[in-house]
Formats: sequence, C-alpha cells, structure tokens
Amino acid sequence: MSDLLNSMTAAASGMDAQATRLRMVSENIANADTPGFRRKTISFEEVHAQGDARAVATGRIHLDQTELERVLDPSHPMAGADGFYDGSNVDLMVEIADAREAGRSYEANLRMFDQTRRMVGSLFELLNR
Amino acid sequence: MESSITVLDMARSLARHSATRQALITDNVANADTPGFKAQDIKPFAEIYRAPGGEAPRTSFVPAATRAGHTGGGAQASGMAGLPGMEVLQRTKVGAPSANGNTVSLEDQMARGAEIKLHHDMALGIMRKSMDILRATLGRRG
Repeated sequence: MSDLLNSMTAAASGMDAQATRLRMVSENIANADTPGFRRKTISFEEVHAQGDARAVATGRIHLDQTELERVLDPSHPMAGADGFYDGSNVDLMVEIADAREAGRSYEANLRMFDQTRRMVGSLFELLNR
Repeated sequence: MESSITVLDMARSLARHSATRQALITDNVANADTPGFKAQDIKPFAEIYRAPGGEAPRTSFVPAATRAGHTGGGAQASGMAGLPGMEVLQRTKVGAPSANGNTVSLEDQMARGAEIKLHHDMALGIMRKSMDILRATLGRRG
C-alpha cells in the first residue's frame, strides 16, 4: 500500500517536473524575438523524498550561454553603429521538439498515476465487500 | 485449521510484488528525462516466490541498495525489509542508452506497467474468489 502511495508521489513529481519544463519552453518561445534574451534550460534530478519515496525534481534554471543571434536591422532602436543588434538565442525548432518530448513524458506519468490509482481503487473495493 | 491459507498468502505476495514493481516503474517513468538515471525493476514473481515448504523463504523480498543514493531508499524504503529476493535490478535496458546516460525507454516501461496491472488484478481476483469460497463454506452468501 505504501508502495502504491510512493508510486503516486513519483508520478505526481514527474508531471510537475515536466510541466515546469513545458513552462520554460513556453517562455523561450514567447521571447524568441526579445533582443538579448537567452533561452532558459532546466535540469532534472532524481531525489529521495521523505524516507522511502523516490521522485524527480527540477534543478536550477540555466541560461543558455551560446552566442546570441546577430540581427541586421539599422532601423532598430537597439542597433549599434554597424546596424546589427543582439537577438535571442532561441531556436524555435529545438523548443518545439522539447515541448513535444515534455508532453509525451507528461502523458506517460499521467498514465502511470492513473494506473496506480486504479490499483488502489481495486484494493479498496476488495476491502469494502 | 491452518491459520494461513496458502492461496491467500500467495495472492498477497503477488499483490505486494506488483505494488513494489509499480513504485519502481513509476519512478522510472518520472525520471525518463533525468540525465544518468538507470531504469530499475525487480525479478519476476515466479523467480522469487517459493511455495511453503520450499527451501527459500517464501515471502521475503529484500530490495538491495544498488546505488550510492539508496541508503534509505530502494530496498528498505519500500517497506519490504525482511521479504527476500526482491533486490532491485538495473537491467531494464532496451536498446542503447540516450546521450545523457539515461536508460529509460517509455515504451518498455508502459509494457511493464500493463503487465503489473494484470498481475495485480489477478492477485486481487484470486483473493476475492477465495473469500467467496470461504463465505460459501460458512454458509453465508454474498
């Protein structure tokens, strides 16, 4: 029984982590055209929550330090003397792929949560006969 | 009358085995994108369970700590301390690990999850039927 509860904790933490990741992706996409914006990435870590329960948690947010895109637009208010300004280093294709993966993992966690819930349900059903 | 009924005992062990496995598989799925995470599982029930009178202890499952971080988790953590044979295996590798060292395959975990559900349902079904039979012998229907 406590195994099943631990299982639900793990699944919930997985959904939470994937949701956080999805939020980062949304922020990156929203700021794809913001000058000087560095894309945010987040790491996942395995954690041992209280006692037996194991789960996943998100680590610190990192700013991608790859070079910012140089955009040529002399009319832009932030353009330098050479007519270039620093764009963001967000690659939409990468973000979309990341979002897809996060969505898929979220769904997998949800499925495991639902299955655990059903298993607990059938246990209780047996008790209530 | 014997105090423990073998079939109920067996069903209980199977249900417990399924629950422990479910916890591990869910943890695998939760860590499907964690760098360096190794997928875990335990031995199939048939390999662990020994019928009463068999040589090995029958309902002991002891998940062993297989990683440095398992001091409080894994084996003892799952509340299975004292039940032998339930060491955590890191052998659930399907295909090559991904570039970040993660060996979880979601598809494989889903298949294992389905199997666990099947076993758990079977265990509970056996319990239910056994209880029905017990009730019938006592002369109470329903």
